[in-house]
Amino acid sequence: MSLPGEIKRRIQMLFHRDQLNRDLEEEMRLHLDLRRQQQIDRGLTESAAARTAHLKFGNITRIKEKSLMTWGSETLECFLQDALYGIRAMLRSPALTLVALLSLALGIGANTAIFSLLDAVLLRSLPVKDPHQLLLMGTGDWNGTSDAFALTDAYSYPFYRQFQQKNAVFSSTAAIFSMLNQAHGFVLDPTGRASIEAEPMNIQLVSGTYFETLGVEAQHGRVFTDADDNSEGDHPVAVISNAWWKRNLASDPSVLSRRLKLGDTVFTIVGVVPPEFFGTKVGEAPDIWIPLSMMKSVPPHWAGYKDNFSESLLLFGRLKSGVSSQQATANVNLLFQQILRSFPNAKLNQENLEKLAKAHVPLTSMATGLSDLRGQFSEPLQILMAVVALVLLIACANIANLLLARSTARARELAVRQALGAQRGRIIRQLLTESLILALTGGALGIVLASAANRLLLHMVSGGLDNIPLDVSLNIRLLLFTFVVTIATALIFGTIPAFRATRLQLTDTLKSGRSPQGVGARNPLARILVISQVALSLVLMVGAGLFLRSLINLTNIDTGFNKENVLRLRIDFSSAGFKNDDPRQTALYNTITERVSALPGVKASSFSSFTFREGSWNGYINVPGMPVNHDIDVKHNIIGAGYFATMQIPLIAGRGFDSTDTATSQRVAIVSEHMARTLFPNGQALGRSYHIGDPKSPYEQQVIGIARDVKFDDLTENPEDIDYLPFFQGNCCLNSFELRYTGNTGSISTAVQQTIHSIDRTLPISGITTLDDEVARSITNQRLVAQLSTFFGLLAVFLYSIGIYGLMSYVVSRRTNEIGIRMALGAARSNVRSLILREIALLVAIGIAIGIPAALTADRYVTHMLFGVKSTDPAALLAAVALLLTVAVCAGYFPARRAARVDPMEALRYE
Amino acid sequence: MSRDEIPPGTLYLLILKTLAVRGVLHGCEFAESIQHHSEDILQVEEGSLYPALQRMLVKGWVAAEWGVTAGNRRARYFTFTADGRKQLAVELNKFERIMAAVNRVILTSQ
Repeated sequence: MSLPGEIKRRIQMLFHRDQLNRDLEEEMRLHLDLRRQQQIDRGLTESAAARTAHLKFGNITRIKEKSLMTWGSETLECFLQDALYGIRAMLRSPALTLVALLSLALGIGANTAIFSLLDAVLLRSLPVKDPHQLLLMGTGDWNGTSDAFALTDAYSYPFYRQFQQKNAVFSSTAAIFSMLNQAHGFVLDPTGRASIEAEPMNIQLVSGTYFETLGVEAQHGRVFTDADDNSEGDHPVAVISNAWWKRNLASDPSVLSRRLKLGDTVFTIVGVVPPEFFGTKVGEAPDIWIPLSMMKSVPPHWAGYKDNFSESLLLFGRLKSGVSSQQATANVNLLFQQILRSFPNAKLNQENLEKLAKAHVPLTSMATGLSDLRGQFSEPLQILMAVVALVLLIACANIANLLLARSTARARELAVRQALGAQRGRIIRQLLTESLILALTGGALGIVLASAANRLLLHMVSGGLDNIPLDVSLNIRLLLFTFVVTIATALIFGTIPAFRATRLQLTDTLKSGRSPQGVGARNPLARILVISQVALSLVLMVGAGLFLRSLINLTNIDTGFNKENVLRLRIDFSSAGFKNDDPRQTALYNTITERVSALPGVKASSFSSFTFREGSWNGYINVPGMPVNHDIDVKHNIIGAGYFATMQIPLIAGRGFDSTDTATSQRVAIVSEHMARTLFPNGQALGRSYHIGDPKSPYEQQVIGIARDVKFDDLTENPEDIDYLPFFQGNCCLNSFELRYTGNTGSISTAVQQTIHSIDRTLPISGITTLDDEVARSITNQRLVAQLSTFFGLLAVFLYSIGIYGLMSYVVSRRTNEIGIRMALGAARSNVRSLILREIALLVAIGIAIGIPAALTADRYVTHMLFGVKSTDPAALLAAVALLLTVAVCAGYFPARRAARVDPMEALRYE
Repeated sequence: MSRDEIPPGTLYLLILKTLAVRGVLHGCEFAESIQHHSEDILQVEEGSLYPALQRMLVKGWVAAEWGVTAGNRRARYFTFTADGRKQLAVELNKFERIMAAVNRVILTSQ
């Protein structure tokens, strides 16, 4: 007995069921006829013979059924039958089906869309070999360079090399530069000529062991080896991403002979990584990977390759098999102490030794990669996930109510079936199958909705700039999630109505056509469902209200500078070949500032290192007369003379930089209010001098002005210590150019770019934005939560209004004769209306009473995300309650009006 | 005279053996043949015959074809398949094993 053959035959039988039926019938008829013939031969009469033969044969139908059952597809057949029946039933009541499908599609679609974001940011593992074996040293929350002693989040290149040699727990170690190099370079065509315009390139500096540790192999050419990284400056090789190869090299098949020019160096492309590999940071997708040995050749020319204390690298490794993470942590920490002490230029003074003793390097999992997005969006996404789950529950309650109402209408049909012998379980199975079909259809629609919504969500998360490279497309995990949610939904809204519908008193139902306890007027289940909908909607609306107010508060924060009408752009001098302290660069700063300020519509312009949210350069300062404090962290901003006018930051004392401050005069600085107050004796800074960095450093700045406090990185930060240094006194690194303008942003932007290019054609300009937008982008995640929670809150209210409308319509239709009697006995139409409305009000009131404590409890979890508003804010609560009441009254108005219009004669005749 | 029922588990054996002897049969003929060869002691209920035949079709032990009877009526004729012959040997083995065991028990308790 071959199993595959058997299965094949069973499946074939499914298609030929009718044929088989007929065959069996004919066969048995023949058999019966022959038997009859036998009896006739024995001498019985025709009729006697027929009867005897029949008796001997047995129940033909039963035998036929038993024979067919041996083919064993009864369950599948039943399921198909139920499914078809369900579809026909759905089509018979199109309005109900449409409402149910819409609710389901919205609920399931919302869940899928948010989950896809959550999955991409939080859950998905890196597309590399065995990602769970990868461990990162430190927390991964590091973006920059430092020279601090005993830093556990970032490491220097010499440290990496020593660690790689000496460690006993990683089979392979790798290092990544913690910042992405956003440079401009030239792609050389096959003849070696450079393109005219420099292209923006996102470059990730990595160790030679990077790809090998991750287990990533090239799809063309090769990836780096350790040898590509072992000596400074003589390994001009690059590995590129699949997307960049397609976009910028037009999928050139001879990609391995192409070269690109960055700064003064020509790099050869040696490999292309597979399409699914995007790097190790979620939300960042480098175009090009270059070995750390070339870090000085790539703009902006970082110089830390040989520096023991230029700590800018993130280190991670692949755990050796058989080594536990505790063993690894112990070994790593031991080596950390040893290597730092062994550096010849390590300053082993008491302060540093204390820091070293307290330092502990945690090993964190790299399975899901690094991410800046994660910190920002992890909590908002989890909250949104809870929100959409509640919306789905409300939708389910709606559908359950609709199904309850419909099953009461079908009571007679179900009673007849049960009276004819149908098992209760069989009918329940059928009703559940109908629910399943409904849920599956809704789920399919939901997936379609989610695909469309995903793009919108990604746009919102990206804050209006180019879309962040996040893969939120459909994948198996997502589909599985949706499927599970759909089945759960079907069970939730289908089970109780199914059980209720089959609990019938058969005789009563057959007589009157409706089930006695199913009369909606007295049905507690439907009421409970509506009350729970009200409560859940209240929780959602209160939450949405709180987030909205928080967002409004954030947008009203005074940034200290005037963010309106300021255009900001970045000029990549480094990529254009200018080195630090190049006098030509200083000349360019002046020329560009003069020419742009002279443009019509431009009121002021200036260069600076930073404006808002562009990073920072922090350092320690030393003020004579104040106690030595190494925790001082002053943010330095190197600016042009027109900075304060451009940003409209008022000076509250002293003066700004002017023509008396030159490269050879006394070095000057302007400090912020907070810095003046806290870091200088008696809070008096004007006229005093201080040292940047070491007290013995030659740089002594005299304070000539005090500026108002401004926000530097974040809208919610406390006042920072900021000092401003003029670039023309020998300081460098001005990345930002900003200007204050009036008029049309687009035309000013074009004019400015043209002006800059007319001065020097080769300067790459990028990152053009208004300061307004930049500030708005800084609160993207709060905006996301506020907008989406409001949208879903309103959706929930919409769903619950449909629920109330549906329930009330049903209640009215069931109580028609009661209303008729009341009116015949003298009740006015308005009395009837208020009867219905009172009932609605009662339901909503109970729902609100339950919802308020629920909302207050839930909101305690989001207090830390709110700004300027308490979680028990009464305004949000009142607004939500008012909204729910209004909607309920509106939704119930039409059924109430219908009740009032009942003609008593019609109603009485109904009975 | 009431006929004895077919012992459970032996129906397949009887049907297969009948096929082996007679070659090609249709449904009615099975019942008659078994009754005849057992000298009217064993009686096959139609209620068990048809499901059994269908099961054998599922398992692939027999194959069915439409033909014409002697009385010019359309009937479905069953034939052996290779799997069926193998199954016959298996069923025979099983039956003999069980009968031998039963015999042993009967003999010892005497």
